[in-house]
Amino acid sequence: MQPALFVQNLHKTFRNGHNLKAVDGVSFEVNPGEIFSLLGPNGAGKTTTISMLSALLKPDNGATGANDIRIMGRSLITEPLAAKAMIGVVPQDIALYQDLTARENLVFWAKMYGLKGDLLKTRVAEVLELIGLTDRANDRISKYSGGMKRRVNIGVALLHQPKVIYMDEPTVGIDPQSRRSILDGVIALKNQGMTVLYTTHYMEEAQELSDRIAIMDHGKIIANDSHENLIRLVGQKTRISLAINAEPKTMVEAWNNCKGVSTLVVEESKLNLLVDDSNVVLPQLFEAAAAKNIRITSVEIQEPNLETVFLHLTGRALRDE
Amino acid sequence: MKSLTIALNDLRRSFRSTFALLFMFGIPLLVTGMFFVMFGNIKNSDSLTLNTTKVALVNLDAGNDQTGQIGQTLVDALQSEGLTDLMEITLVNDAAAAREMVDNQQFGVAIIIPENFSDSFSNTQSKVVVEFIQDPTLTLGPQVVRSVLNQVLDGYAGIKITVAESLKLAENGTLPYEEITRIVNEYMDATAYSSESAPLIDQRTPAELPEKSPMLAMVGPIMAGMMIFYAFFTGANSANSILHEDEEGTLQRMFTTPTAQAEIMRGKFYSVGLTVIVQIFVLMLAARIIFGIQWGLITSAALSALAIASAAATFGIMLVSFFKNTKQSSVIFSGFLTVTGMLGMVNIFTGNPQAKPLGIVPLFTPQGWATRAILASMDGAKVEIILPVLLALLAMSILFFVIGVWRLQRRFA
Repeated sequence: MQPALFVQNLHKTFRNGHNLKAVDGVSFEVNPGEIFSLLGPNGAGKTTTISMLSALLKPDNGATGANDIRIMGRSLITEPLAAKAMIGVVPQDIALYQDLTARENLVFWAKMYGLKGDLLKTRVAEVLELIGLTDRANDRISKYSGGMKRRVNIGVALLHQPKVIYMDEPTVGIDPQSRRSILDGVIALKNQGMTVLYTTHYMEEAQELSDRIAIMDHGKIIANDSHENLIRLVGQKTRISLAINAEPKTMVEAWNNCKGVSTLVVEESKLNLLVDDSNVVLPQLFEAAAAKNIRITSVEIQEPNLETVFLHLTGRALRDE
Repeated sequence: MKSLTIALNDLRRSFRSTFALLFMFGIPLLVTGMFFVMFGNIKNSDSLTLNTTKVALVNLDAGNDQTGQIGQTLVDALQSEGLTDLMEITLVNDAAAAREMVDNQQFGVAIIIPENFSDSFSNTQSKVVVEFIQDPTLTLGPQVVRSVLNQVLDGYAGIKITVAESLKLAENGTLPYEEITRIVNEYMDATAYSSESAPLIDQRTPAELPEKSPMLAMVGPIMAGMMIFYAFFTGANSANSILHEDEEGTLQRMFTTPTAQAEIMRGKFYSVGLTVIVQIFVLMLAARIIFGIQWGLITSAALSALAIASAAATFGIMLVSFFKNTKQSSVIFSGFLTVTGMLGMVNIFTGNPQAKPLGIVPLFTPQGWATRAILASMDGAKVEIILPVLLALLAMSILFFVIGVWRLQRRFA
């Protein structure tokens, strides 16, 4: 089966004084009808990747040679207009004309996607209905709430009924209700057969939405699989997060020596541990602390999830940047 | 044609902004309107007149046997019928009394012709000074009188040369002394500085155009200057929307649509050009209707307007291409356009389009060439006369456009 999105060997280095390698050899494939998430902390290279996939940034050649981006079989590099006609891009920030109404925005963008005549009118009306703004269609965007703007921002990308839709952190900075509405919308798009490339640094979103998840860090994809298979990478390891009434570093050596502790990371005022069995390890941790006359002030136990996977793969917490 | 879609979208956004409308149309018309109201009667543009200045004229000229009463010819010239709308002459015998009358604001101006006025014509070594005293609280009226007086006195320089040459001939014995007065009178008749006729203001109006009133001759260049000044600001402001859209993400979003980058940029350039063209033509029309300003022959005026619009639009595109963001551009281009605008239109701002206080400096700015084109058109010049200026503006526009496009394409490539 031809992948909806085929990405091969993408590289991008920003030469602004100090060569910053933002994307370093990224390759993946997304199957038709799949929701594929790029998960990683801020600065992992997700937006740079999606910018290259949207033809906003030109990939570097990379040390190993050929790179390629194919959308429904059309190369974005050699046939950019044909390939771009297949995608709808929802940028991270609201990219709309604030001084125009929602309808005027949609009409303008529909024309940019090549729609005309009755089809244009029909699609604008359908999208307004889909995003629930038919009643407010003639209000200027500047008068909308943040959540309503997000909905129009997404609606623009759906006007031409693309085969693939890119959504770059579409839920950043919005209220829980709007966030829920957007996540439900993404699932509805999948149900209509659309392929979705979704970037986020919210583990819960990736976990809920995705058929497959690629975890990115420092410009590379460090894991790419279904949620279940990624969890299996860390086995049955449990994440324990502890706070103590002393400098966290005081306990690093003692707790690292406890049986069953596989990883220990200091994150601000907390110590994060990956352990085989929390019931066995926890008493040891308390004993070691007591031996040093240190009190444990909080304990948080978390069953294996994507956060645990990221900690396991990078030695860092997903949200520590 | 997506470039047209982009241009029309920008145009709609520009003309929906109250601030932009005020900036593009309100301010130029308001400033011109202020001058219009200050200098005349706004109700009836056909009967606009400057206030008549009261002038105390003292003729102390004792005359000369060889040249006669040349001072009297100056009095006659200033009292000529053509100047009665501008100045009301009262003959006063005493210079001190005339000065006092100006001090007391009974008169706006006193002109004192010295005792040796005629003598100075027969003695080429002697210098003569006609005293001009004005009420310092008045500005325009005394300036008009002074300008007329200067023009008349410039003519007397020719008389002085005629007298000097005649005297040389008389001293050589080739011309009788009694003939000198006749020759001077003949010269004055020939140069029209006689008491019978005094065409002191060289006002040329092409046959095709209706005659301009002095008021419109003054307000017209001001309106032209305002139009050019703000057209260049509009050009830069519209071009600045490229940076605005870059920052707001809508430009990037356009790049993600199936539209070639060249077409998107073309759309942005069209929008800059269209905005300035609409601004210029609306201002010209409004100025014609409100102030009765004559822009010249229709072809000359239309071509000048298009040339100005193209220079303003491309100058804006080029300027914007040098800035990284709107923070930089908004601050710097305002200052830059103000300076180039003032330099380019210095002749208008000094109140005398014919004077050239900074020589050719205005021609180092596109606004200077734009001013030259529109003023020539307003003077009734035919297209072939202003064609070199229009071609210069076109050449500049091409240069600005090439630089701007090259830099912007490099940035967004």
